[in-house]
Amino acid sequence: MKKVLFLCTMLLTTTLLAATYTPDNLPIPYLQDKTQYVSNPDGILSQTTVDSLNLWLGQMEASHGVQTVLAVVERIEGGEAYDFSMALGRKYGIGSKEQNTGLIIVLATEDRAYYILTGRGLEGTLPDAICKRIENNQMLPYLRDGEWDEAMLNSVRAITKYVDGDDSLVGSSDFEDDDDTGALIAFVVCMAIGVGLVFLGAWYEERKKSYCPSCHKHKMKKISGYTTKNKILGVLTHHDTYRCSNCQFTKELHWDENLNNRGGSGGAAAGSALGGSFFGRGGGFGGGGFGGSFGGGSFGGGGAGGHF
Amino acid sequence: MKKSSIYLIIAAVVVLCGFYGCNTYNSLVSQDENVSRAWADVEAQYQRRADLIPNLVNTVKGYAAHESGTLEAVVAARSKATQITVDPENLTPEKLAEYQAAQGEVSQALGRLLAITENYPDLKANEQFSELQAQLEGTENRIAESRRLFNEAAQAYNVSVRRFPANLFANIFGFSVKGNFKADAGAEKAPEVQF
Repeated sequence: MKKVLFLCTMLLTTTLLAATYTPDNLPIPYLQDKTQYVSNPDGILSQTTVDSLNLWLGQMEASHGVQTVLAVVERIEGGEAYDFSMALGRKYGIGSKEQNTGLIIVLATEDRAYYILTGRGLEGTLPDAICKRIENNQMLPYLRDGEWDEAMLNSVRAITKYVDGDDSLVGSSDFEDDDDTGALIAFVVCMAIGVGLVFLGAWYEERKKSYCPSCHKHKMKKISGYTTKNKILGVLTHHDTYRCSNCQFTKELHWDENLNNRGGSGGAAAGSALGGSFFGRGGGFGGGGFGGSFGGGSFGGGGAGGHF
Repeated sequence: MKKSSIYLIIAAVVVLCGFYGCNTYNSLVSQDENVSRAWADVEAQYQRRADLIPNLVNTVKGYAAHESGTLEAVVAARSKATQITVDPENLTPEKLAEYQAAQGEVSQALGRLLAITENYPDLKANEQFSELQAQLEGTENRIAESRRLFNEAAQAYNVSVRRFPANLFANIFGFSVKGNFKADAGAEKAPEVQF
């Protein structure tokens, strides 16, 4: 109850204050869904713009391993986009550890501050002067008129051009391939276990039938049998006679077979259920709806920014 | 019998001390290495700034030749600062303070230079100058970040060196306390740029 109250007050205060964002409370959609690079909590950018940016930034990560966080908010704590970006980079470790190619773009419309922060491994591809040039030519003209969508679209388009021109950067698709292989192996193993269980179940059923209650040996063999069918219930009943080849003991076994669901013995059902559930999971890997994670990249303070 | 068990205890203590000593020594070595690496980064970033200065001075000269006093002050402070280098083995607090003071003079001279550029709209509109200024700002940011990381490394090292009983071994092996950057008295603030 206390928790609920606490959450309610938290929610209320954050909505009332119209949120001055800190690196700690800025929502990072990427963590929930790795196709979402843009944090747009105040709804400053249009949905179409956000979709385009996400698409381009996704391509940039797949082809060159540049992991981006683009945040557009009204106000940031302290009002300095550089400090905010650096704190974000430090907190999440954006960019892979190997390449250090994290990229943080921050625009605070009410603070009138912006910054393009490059990870240590991106400083060669996007030197400070180039970041400044992009801002001067692609961002500032639109920012002055309050055209936030245009400013971000043009800047990111320009950035992708520079990144595409650098062949030394390795795409993250290589790593993703590894992930897929892992998923495939897991899937195959699960299927194998499922099929194994089916066979094991069938074998166990057979072994149970061959058990002789008189001499406790598995020497029973089926010598005769007939079936009766109940059409209303859809059940086929087997009446089998077994004789032990060891002590000549005979027993009769009656067992039902559900005609509507053939092969529904315990083992098979468990097996197919297991296989089926992993089928569903295997399908999910291709969907790309999983949360992303940041690789632990570091920022040395490169990039450029300013106020408008 | 009694005597031999005493010897045994002494031997055990000596062996344990030996192990502890090795451990302490190794961890001090790796922390020392961290400090050296962080220091190399600090020097590289200051060098980066020093490399930018001639270009900046030349660009400003083209628009504001009669501000020669300010321009010369930057060049002089730069050449003075580049002469002071600190060997990572010799990062004493005094040496570091000297280094910081010399670099602080460069910062102040640069700050004055950037202040006078405000009076030259043509210069401010120059794309090359704008990009140079961005490089300078980025470098100041890098300096601040590398100094922060250096201070962290130095602090971790200093704590290890001074903590008992590691300090006994640190003295034997000659590990001494390293200096770190003190907060600036407003002198080393990155130049503010307004658009």
